[in-house]
Amino acid sequence: MCTRHVSRNLAAYIDGGLPPVNARQTEFHLEQCGSCRGECDQVRRGMAMVEHLSVIEAPEAIWFSIEAALQDNQQREIRMAGWWRWALAATVVLALAGGALWRLAQPAGARWEVVRLDGSPSVAAKPIGGKGQVGAGEWIETDARSRAVVKVGEIGSVEVAPNTFVGVVAARPGEHRLALVRGEIRAKITAPPRLFFVNTASGTAVDLGCEYTLHTSEDGFGTLQVTKGWVAFEWKGLESLVPAGASCQTRPKLGPGIPYFDDAPESVRRALEAFSLGNNRSEALSTILSESRVRDTLTLWHLLSRVEGGDRGRVFDRIAALTPVPAGVSREQVLELDPETLKRWKEELAWTW
Amino acid sequence: MVVNLSNRVLGTEVIEACRSGDREAFRVLYETYKDRVYSIALHFCHRDRAMASDVTQQVFLKLTTSIRRFRGDAEFSTWLYRLVVNACMDAARSRMPQAVGTDLSRMDTLAAPGSQEEDYAHTQMANSVREAVSALPPKFRIAVLLRYFDDLSYEQMAKALHCSMGTVASRLSRGHKLLAERLRDVTGTRPRRRE
Repeated sequence: MCTRHVSRNLAAYIDGGLPPVNARQTEFHLEQCGSCRGECDQVRRGMAMVEHLSVIEAPEAIWFSIEAALQDNQQREIRMAGWWRWALAATVVLALAGGALWRLAQPAGARWEVVRLDGSPSVAAKPIGGKGQVGAGEWIETDARSRAVVKVGEIGSVEVAPNTFVGVVAARPGEHRLALVRGEIRAKITAPPRLFFVNTASGTAVDLGCEYTLHTSEDGFGTLQVTKGWVAFEWKGLESLVPAGASCQTRPKLGPGIPYFDDAPESVRRALEAFSLGNNRSEALSTILSESRVRDTLTLWHLLSRVEGGDRGRVFDRIAALTPVPAGVSREQVLELDPETLKRWKEELAWTW
Repeated sequence: MVVNLSNRVLGTEVIEACRSGDREAFRVLYETYKDRVYSIALHFCHRDRAMASDVTQQVFLKLTTSIRRFRGDAEFSTWLYRLVVNACMDAARSRMPQAVGTDLSRMDTLAAPGSQEEDYAHTQMANSVREAVSALPPKFRIAVLLRYFDDLSYEQMAKALHCSMGTVASRLSRGHKLLAERLRDVTGTRPRRRE
């Protein structure tokens, strides 16, 4: 004889979420009731079907927008706090309060000037005429025929090439940060190192006082080409240092590639590409080692930390054959990737870069 | 079998650091949950990426302002998913306005990695399931998605959904039954699993 139907509890029964007594009652009922048994099969089938749904990676853009919003909120709080301070001060010294008011009235989050160069670039989805302004949390977009230049505070400028989508993450004296989603920017920065940053899907370009071009495709594949000074490209503890005249490829989830000079032999560049993609790495490494010039110790130095065991020894030997190993740098320390030793060696090698 | 990503459980120290305003800790928290939150939002919002991005953004922004009030009397994930449920339901009621001037609808289509999504993009079965899930009434849909995308207990789901455990069980039963009915003509294939 059938007891009360158990349709409501079937999912919990299947998931083992029912208390033991209820589970036994449900089981007993299912043995007796064909209707509920049929429903139970349907619920099971529905659960199996849901397994075809995939977990989808959240776009990197969401984090950029959260960061921008957080900074916006922070700046608003600072302004509010400032007003309270001014109000208190005004009760004591009215004359000083006037000055404080003037200072605090300045926006904590600066807005940067955007100048149209060609076509009709837009800021925050609105086309700009001759000039516009952009602030944290806003985006600049150019179509195939548009170009614009952004004056980055007091530290330089960024030209936004056609078909580019770039946002401002932070616009304050200690941090000038863009997010390049796709397209190309050319940055000219005259500021102390580590004041200007560009986030991309495959890492962050950190200005070390330089001019460079950064291109990225929608899927995060990109190229960093430095024309003046130095740029560090960083991703999850991995860093590539790229001097003037050199480039490095970037890839999503792999971070910065190994930098190479633009005038490096074609064979070295092709082998480096194959090595980075994991295609016949041993043969590619042999080509890189045998074809490298003194200047290509830039590439070889970066390779040291990206190869293992015997290969690291081969890279060390090749650098040592190309240029004398300075005092204070030993083979053992290099093979152990001692940070101080690698830094010292890099500083010596950099004279040839 | 549900998607189990619970090996990436946040330590209390991360949550404590978030409560004291540590931005790095918040990034860790975001990285831990972002894909699950986004996936739930995306499947809930009829595959509207812009809306899913907005929901995800709103959830984590809300988290930053309210995490100071989190006292640990409930599990963190339960508390987080309550925010997700609220944001999804709000989105269902009305299309949400753009946040902080950020044009996420366009950003999303440009920046979305889409690799795992692409794996299924041409699979008829997956498409049919997505459509069937989208067609579920919102209360059933969110319950089905919560159960699938995180290994929550019925008690946790009840807290996140503001209802009793019995109601959770009922919604899951009816939701999955509806799915099976709508997909009865679809022949079964083995789903691919995430590790």
